[in-house]
Amino acid sequence: MKLGVFVSDFELTNDTLDRVGPDGVILVANGVYHASLKTDGKASPLLSKYSSLYVLSEDLETRGIDAATVDSKVKVVDYSGLVDVIFNEFEKIAWL
Amino acid sequence: MGKLTIGCFPGLVGNMSYDFALKLAEAAKDKGHDVDVWFSGNATGSIAAGQKHLKDYSTAEQHLTRLMEKGVKFCTCEACSVARGVKKDSSIEGVIWNAMHWYLGSIHGADRVLQIGGE
Repeated sequence: MKLGVFVSDFELTNDTLDRVGPDGVILVANGVYHASLKTDGKASPLLSKYSSLYVLSEDLETRGIDAATVDSKVKVVDYSGLVDVIFNEFEKIAWL
Repeated sequence: MGKLTIGCFPGLVGNMSYDFALKLAEAAKDKGHDVDVWFSGNATGSIAAGQKHLKDYSTAEQHLTRLMEKGVKFCTCEACSVARGVKKDSSIEGVIWNAMHWYLGSIHGADRVLQIGGE
């Protein structure tokens, strides 16, 4: 089973993600900060844990984050692209 | 094409998770998928008819109505709705009123399920 997890928060999900052990992560809402924000010069540790990483473009724009600043490991998708990710990249999906 | 079932529990006004659920439902429907949305918990407040559409707050009535016209099915948890004072005769026309078994049945027939928890 290939599991994709929606991450909608920036601070509170890392431990839960470790326990769930998804195959990929989809960053939405405040979770999009993982895609761009650096802490002490370092990218989010989440980005080095998963090979399949997506971020919702509309939620980047809502927060004033330029898609050009998104880490190269993360693929930027719109809602239409997100639907394809849900149906084609993962067999199960969950929301954190 | 597949079927997506979304369980939506977060409340309505100013809630980005609720907005996300409707936008995802619309995008999936526009791509030809079947979409069911189950409202439970505070999300059931969004089926009240006659919502005032404020500029700076998300409201649902127009969006829900448009999505139902496209073929998205919405079902509200009857118990959650009446517990919040939402009455069937003053709710948005076309929204199904039922119980958890409707959601379970929809999940059973779905290719993908996304449950978005409440606040």
